Amino acid sequence: MHRLIDLKRVAVMMVASVLLSFATAAISDSTVVEGSKAAGMDKGGCVAPQMDMRRNHMEYLKHQRDEVVHKGDRSSKFALAECVNCHASKDKKGHPVPVNAKDQFCDSCHDYAAVNITCFQCHRKVPEEK
Amino acid sequence: MSFFFALLFILASLVFVVGLTLKIIQYAKTPVPLKIVTTPAPVTKSGVVLRMFREVVFFESLFKSTKWTWIFSWVFHMALLLVLIRHLRYFIEPDAVPAVVWTLIELVQPFGMYAGFGMVLGLVGLFLRRVLVDRVRYISAPSDYLMLLMLGFIGFSGLMMTFVVHTDIVAIKQFFTFNGGQLPADFPLIIHLSLVALLMLIFPFSKLLHVPGIFFSPTRNQVDNPREKRHIVPWAKALEEEQN
Repeated sequence: MHRLIDLKRVAVMMVASVLLSFATAAISDSTVVEGSKAAGMDKGGCVAPQMDMRRNHMEYLKHQRDEVVHKGDRSSKFALAECVNCHASKDKKGHPVPVNAKDQFCDSCHDYAAVNITCFQCHRKVPEEK
Repeated sequence: MSFFFALLFILASLVFVVGLTLKIIQYAKTPVPLKIVTTPAPVTKSGVVLRMFREVVFFESLFKSTKWTWIFSWVFHMALLLVLIRHLRYFIEPDAVPAVVWTLIELVQPFGMYAGFGMVLGLVGLFLRRVLVDRVRYISAPSDYLMLLMLGFIGFSGLMMTFVVHTDIVAIKQFFTFNGGQLPADFPLIIHLSLVALLMLIFPFSKLLHVPGIFFSPTRNQVDNPREKRHIVPWAKALEEEQN
């Protein structure tokens, strides 16, 4: 009898957790680095909302890569070069800092989450010079 | 939601750690009055260590008894190990460990990702065994199904997050490392975490105790030397001396 009651309680807690989850949403601070172009922009300046980019940026970039490499279609709004243009910061002398350097925009999360990317073995990691 | 899950995981961790510790103490204290080693068995202590190693890593006795059960079980357990190692990234800060450890955790990530499929595949096999093999179905208790289903849905929801609907893993890590992160309100994550908490809560009262239990199994951890050295436990010896 005792055990049954405990199980019931656990079950109620589970259901409650699911219901509660719909009432709240996760919003945390920006991870945009200081001195980057993105830092001077409004919150809506990115190609997609922050919550979406945090979850799916890798899919967007991979999808865009396939579009470009297989179809030659460069019309997608997602492009690694544009990420870098906006999100690379500058050091004190005004030189751009690579986005994958320690604690920079790409690295800060990737290192934190043990994600090892190879994008920048080929791709440019500082903004395009005009 | 984060508050609820924080409470839930604190409770679940407590139950898991304390319950498991008490169980291990109980196992260690359980009297082993007789030499009941399963022969053929090693006659030296190092031989026993080797035997336990083969048992724990390769599931030797299961291999010798049922190949089908062994293949699914072994695939599941090894995949689970890789998946668990992969999950270390949510609980360890990169700066808190030597760089080589962090590099290893990074290197295991892709293996852990695909091991998720092995884990679910093994569980599906074990589940089908319970359902389709008459003699196994006959002896299956509800808890047997429950464990397989729970682990299966944990694996499935995890795979969903890895490959289909991603979640904000940085926020999750901040949450679990007490850095004040809010859990993202993503459905697969809620299923995943709820089931994991439930699993931790019932772990010390369930068949999953075979994890510590295997090390205390007298049929496997004893040395086969009853003639060379008499097996007598202290309390039995005291009793015997009393009688004489």
